[in-house]
Amino acid sequence: MSTPAPLGDAAPMSDPVPPLGDAAKPMGGPGTRARDREPLDRRFARAVQTVTGRSLGPYQTAIVRIGFSLTWLLFLLRELPFRHELYGPDGPWSWEMARRLIADNRAFTVLMWSDGRLWFELVYGIAVLSAVLLLVGWRTRAVSVVFMVGVLSLQNRSVFVGDGGDNVLHLAALYLVLTRCSQVWSLDARRAAREARAARAGEPPRQDRVGPLLWIVLGGFLLATTWFSEVTGEWWLPVLLWVLWLGNGLWWLVRRYAAEEPRTLLDALANLAHNAALVVIMAEVCLIYATAGWYKIQGSRWQDGTALFYPLNLDYFTPWPALSELLGTSGVMVMVLTYGTVIVQVAFPFTLFHRKVKNVLLVAMMLEHAGIAVLLGLPVFSLAMISADAVFLPTPFLVALGAWVVRGRDRLLGRPPAGTLPEQRLTGEEHGPRTLVG
Amino acid sequence: MDAYVEKDAADADGDRPAPPADPLTGAPGTSSPIPPADRANTGIMALSLPYQVVLAVALAVVGVFACLHLAMVFLHVAPSNTLTKQHGQAVDDWVYPEFEQNWKLFAPNPLQQNISVEVRAELAVPDGARRTTGWIDLTAQDIEAIRHNPMPSHAQQNELRRAVDFYLNSHSDDDTPSGLRGRLSEEYMRRIAMLRLDALPVLAGPDGRALTGEVRRVQLRAVTRAVPPPRWSSEKIDTAPSYRDLPWWPVTDADRPTGSDRSRTEAGR
Repeated sequence: MSTPAPLGDAAPMSDPVPPLGDAAKPMGGPGTRARDREPLDRRFARAVQTVTGRSLGPYQTAIVRIGFSLTWLLFLLRELPFRHELYGPDGPWSWEMARRLIADNRAFTVLMWSDGRLWFELVYGIAVLSAVLLLVGWRTRAVSVVFMVGVLSLQNRSVFVGDGGDNVLHLAALYLVLTRCSQVWSLDARRAAREARAARAGEPPRQDRVGPLLWIVLGGFLLATTWFSEVTGEWWLPVLLWVLWLGNGLWWLVRRYAAEEPRTLLDALANLAHNAALVVIMAEVCLIYATAGWYKIQGSRWQDGTALFYPLNLDYFTPWPALSELLGTSGVMVMVLTYGTVIVQVAFPFTLFHRKVKNVLLVAMMLEHAGIAVLLGLPVFSLAMISADAVFLPTPFLVALGAWVVRGRDRLLGRPPAGTLPEQRLTGEEHGPRTLVG
Repeated sequence: MDAYVEKDAADADGDRPAPPADPLTGAPGTSSPIPPADRANTGIMALSLPYQVVLAVALAVVGVFACLHLAMVFLHVAPSNTLTKQHGQAVDDWVYPEFEQNWKLFAPNPLQQNISVEVRAELAVPDGARRTTGWIDLTAQDIEAIRHNPMPSHAQQNELRRAVDFYLNSHSDDDTPSGLRGRLSEEYMRRIAMLRLDALPVLAGPDGRALTGEVRRVQLRAVTRAVPPPRWSSEKIDTAPSYRDLPWWPVTDADRPTGSDRSRTEAGR
């Protein structure tokens, strides 16, 4: 799978991409009914144009990017005092033990390149930095790869300290690499918009030095990965990294020197990879809930409505014993929550065909995870799951959320409310229904 | 999935904002509207035939690959079935190690016991004799760290909990390790125990008297206590603890934590 795209660049078009809505909208047609009567081959052609012409879900992929990078950042900062015990060369799961296990399972971690203390600190530091940069969307195409390497390296180094949250983050880090997740809400998008404005004004494009420099530095890292591919990682991982690296280089060349068509082709290939990865992420979330729900149905405790009572009485998951005790006293309450959990999890994948019901269940799941964060003491797990759920949030809500955040930021920084950015306020009020089902 | 995209799209039509000019802020701006599809400047319609062929091939490859990947992941999380009985190895080869996943969260039944790990150590005391400490509850240390902690560390919540799980899963009932993983899990348990013992200010004998000397051997045991049934339930469950004693293990230098920075500090908890 190749994803040629600029180093950290947002959508290569002159304008940022419109929200998800536009992509599947019948183009020029009056509505869905007209499309139903359309011949099959034209509908197929339109679908092909959609998946090659646009990177769908710009707001959804951006919120997923922000969610997971924030999760990982908070986790890494929280574990700073424990980083040696969890992942360091002399932790209980020692470097040598990890080496023996990885020789067997072939997981990828750059921490196997050296057992040095300094190397460990460097990798941890880069993982923190990559999380910050991915959060703000700086050179996302490159940074998302570094982020993935950081996640895989630390998690695969000590597989026995993770939980479900680490698992979902691990998968998301892999899939995000293939997406254009910085089309909105990112420094990349801001830069792209600035360049587009300059181009329209007839100014010559500014020389980009950071992109090529980053590319060269990562090229050195890639050589190291190839060199150590005997030690760690399966064969496809270096191949994927090479394809991404060469693709980015090719994109840079094509943008500068080639004609219109090769550029459009590479852009279409990047769209294709993005859209496929987006579908895979959505399907993964469905698989998570389907698996969680359908296995629960088979359990006697979920059937008799007491399942929730037990985690509330496990020592490892009761940071607030009084609160857990309180919730566990009411048999009816426990049963309602137990049954509700199963119903929501089993039903969720099917509700995707009905937008409003889907949104209601989405709210229910996010609230449940927020509850788990506090009640079971699993905030990182919960934040990771909420980030995954966010891929299904409706575009109008996300747009309103963005406008609301901007308003908050402006108020905080004491910027004039309507002076510098008058359009933003307009967005929030005119286009931004505040409710999820709006 | 496509159906979802279209649903969202259809609903979004009503109040969809204009394309943002400043995408950081999500605000609409001065940018020109996206050109209609008839005059597409992106995607397959903007290409000439040879390029269209290349893109069509790529579309087919990406489509097949994505479907294959999802099928493999599905078979990985599904129960054992006709297909996985025949092609389980192919699924495993595809999924492990990077796409491994387990979503049986509290399923089919949630854990209904509290399992704690206790350790006692045999010390070589200065007069040349060997003395044994009382049982020290390592899990209790974790629980204390988790109490009233809004964000427990993996070192407190997962390390020991999953280590003992790993040990029990990779050993037979008579503590015979199964392969590499079994041997690794023994070493892991020993190293965790030594790390925790090292962090204690003092080791005491069963009589409560402080002992000094080097730890030569350790023994661990897993104590399982069933969660008592809820008040409204008529179930009778034996809540007496059951003990599983692991063998005495000699402690080698490889099991000892080196350097003071590695011991868990009170400040970090």
